[in-house]
Amino acid sequence: MMPFDERGAVSLTQLFDPSGVAVVGASRTEGKIGYVAMENAAEFAGPVYPVNPSGEGELFGSAFVPSVAEIDGPVDLALCCVPGPAMPDVLDECGEAGIGAVVIYASGFAEAGAEGEALQDEIVAVAAEHDISLLGPNTSGFVVPATDLRCSFASGVGEVPAGNTAVVAQSGGVAHVLAFQSRRQRRGVSAMVGLGNRANVGFAEAIEYFDGDDRTDAIVLHVEGTDDGRRLLETCRESDTPVIAYKVGQSDVGAFAESHTGALTGDHELYTAGFAQYGVPTVDATDDLLDAAAALGGSPTPDGPNVGVVTAQAGPGIIITDRIQRAGGRLPELTPETAERVDEILPGITYDDNPVDTGRPMPAFGEVVTAVAEDSNVDIVLVYELFEEALGFPVAALDGLADRVDKPVLFATEGIESELAGERDALEAAGVPTFETPERAADAAGVLARYAELHADGPDDEPATDGGRSLPGGVAGTGVSPRE
Amino acid sequence: MSDPGPIASARADGRHTLTEAEGKRLLASAGIETTAFQACADADEAVAAADAIGYPVVAKVSSPAVTHKSDWAGGVGVVVGLDSPEAVREAATRIFGAADEQGIAADVLVEEAIDLDRGTEVIVGGVRDPSFGPVVLTGLGGVFTEVFEDTSHRIAPVDHAEARSAIEALRAAELLYGYRGSDPADVDALASAVVAIGDLVTEHSIAELDVNPLLATTDGVIALDALVVLEA
Repeated sequence: MMPFDERGAVSLTQLFDPSGVAVVGASRTEGKIGYVAMENAAEFAGPVYPVNPSGEGELFGSAFVPSVAEIDGPVDLALCCVPGPAMPDVLDECGEAGIGAVVIYASGFAEAGAEGEALQDEIVAVAAEHDISLLGPNTSGFVVPATDLRCSFASGVGEVPAGNTAVVAQSGGVAHVLAFQSRRQRRGVSAMVGLGNRANVGFAEAIEYFDGDDRTDAIVLHVEGTDDGRRLLETCRESDTPVIAYKVGQSDVGAFAESHTGALTGDHELYTAGFAQYGVPTVDATDDLLDAAAALGGSPTPDGPNVGVVTAQAGPGIIITDRIQRAGGRLPELTPETAERVDEILPGITYDDNPVDTGRPMPAFGEVVTAVAEDSNVDIVLVYELFEEALGFPVAALDGLADRVDKPVLFATEGIESELAGERDALEAAGVPTFETPERAADAAGVLARYAELHADGPDDEPATDGGRSLPGGVAGTGVSPRE
Repeated sequence: MSDPGPIASARADGRHTLTEAEGKRLLASAGIETTAFQACADADEAVAAADAIGYPVVAKVSSPAVTHKSDWAGGVGVVVGLDSPEAVREAATRIFGAADEQGIAADVLVEEAIDLDRGTEVIVGGVRDPSFGPVVLTGLGGVFTEVFEDTSHRIAPVDHAEARSAIEALRAAELLYGYRGSDPADVDALASAVVAIGDLVTEHSIAELDVNPLLATTDGVIALDALVVLEA
């Protein structure tokens, strides 16, 4: 038998990109998990098999099969809608049938006391025997919108659009929260996964898989706690795809600490410091997680924390300016050349330093943004403009700008949703992530700034030799990897 | 590589806690300067040790049974500013007396006294976390640690630059860089101590480790105390 680590990649492909799907415990009874799971799974383009020894005829267009052993056709993945105590036998049958990935929705495992723990140990052992990847138990599953692979029993998951952010949540409930939020934000997900009890598919396995997934440009983590924090951190550092984390809960420190150090070392400190040390920016809200992913996943990686702000209205610009500095970004002075350019475009404008305030939306707005984006002091560009129907957004000027200057260009706006939707989509298509409030855009720029600092190579990584400070205080984890 | 001797000797005695003398020997072997010290079995030895180290000295109870020395036996466990053989003899006699009363085996540790005004008190510690493994903590000492919890953590081992970033992350880091005209501390030496503590926790079966205080002065850092708790 191959060790799980070597098998893992193959096995996770069977989970997230299966040839066919068996729904074990599929049911005709509306309202049962076995019914909803089959209803959702039936949308998948590949074969889907309802499995139930007492099932007859068809369910959602597929013929019932009495057991996984009798499936005639390709099948990699089984969605198990059966009670926990039935799982060891079901897993064994799945293994015999060559199924490499199994989702266990049932609860009553490690989260539920000693008996549940014993049951979980048992299924892990059976899974190891057959090299099966187990998602869950105690999860509501996963969804891959691009392939209509809806392995969740929640209603509405079919409405979640395809996007480029992979959501990896410890809680199935939070996975759904994030997926539905991403829909409301018109962004979508490349996949959303609720890990549940992480019997043998945990954060590390999921991050490795989505790092190699072509549809994924950013990975967001919802973390309650894991007993192998170091492996999680090491996997994040290995990932070429940006990872952003939201650690929930500020749990108590070890009760038996004898030292000051022990008494001062809590879970939350270690996650926060550890993520920063290993290159992962952290946020404190579900919306922030998706905003950060939109900014990081949809943009060139910034070289530094310097944000150039262009605003068509002073007030939102002031909010952004104030907020960015608290979020970890800096507002550099623009070069004299840029100031001159802006002066030429807009003689006598309100404020021609950073932020550049044009006072109102205007046809030349896109030219001003371009001038700031091309400024060598600027690493990240953030634009605020209320939607003006007669002018629209400067889509033509911004199209491809981020790639050309090799810097993220973020755009925040407000207006009548139905009026601006088309223009907003056009900006997104032009490589400009959009945001709904000045604060959220500023926070996303702040994450970009922190990401740049956490991933900086260069002078900051070298020990300072002058005995002075290499960076101002207060910026946690200024970006060096621990010794290999 | 630090000297595993002090850990081995504690293990050989069936102890999970190193004495301060063992802890300081461990630190010294890892390149962290400590105050001069000697463990003494009676009052005469204590006086001889003080004569050799030079006055003033500090006398401390040294026993595996005592973790928090200054709280022990109504405060006789740590006596500072002993500037004569008579004062050393009196302090040592009280410590041995209190230990006898409690029925515990104890030595008296006689240490070189250091003027705390020479630098800034810092805490550097290590802990082995069940999820993250070895961790190193950096904090400003005294009230900054106890009241404000002004500390920063790093997953160990760390390199010098990461250790500096841990120091710079402290809210009151200004105190180390020359606050109100005071001399700046040797932050590079402090960073080296943070690296060394991270390595100690990584290389040995240490559950918890406190160097508290570590005095950060203009020309180096010096450990004034050491608590080392081994894994069970």
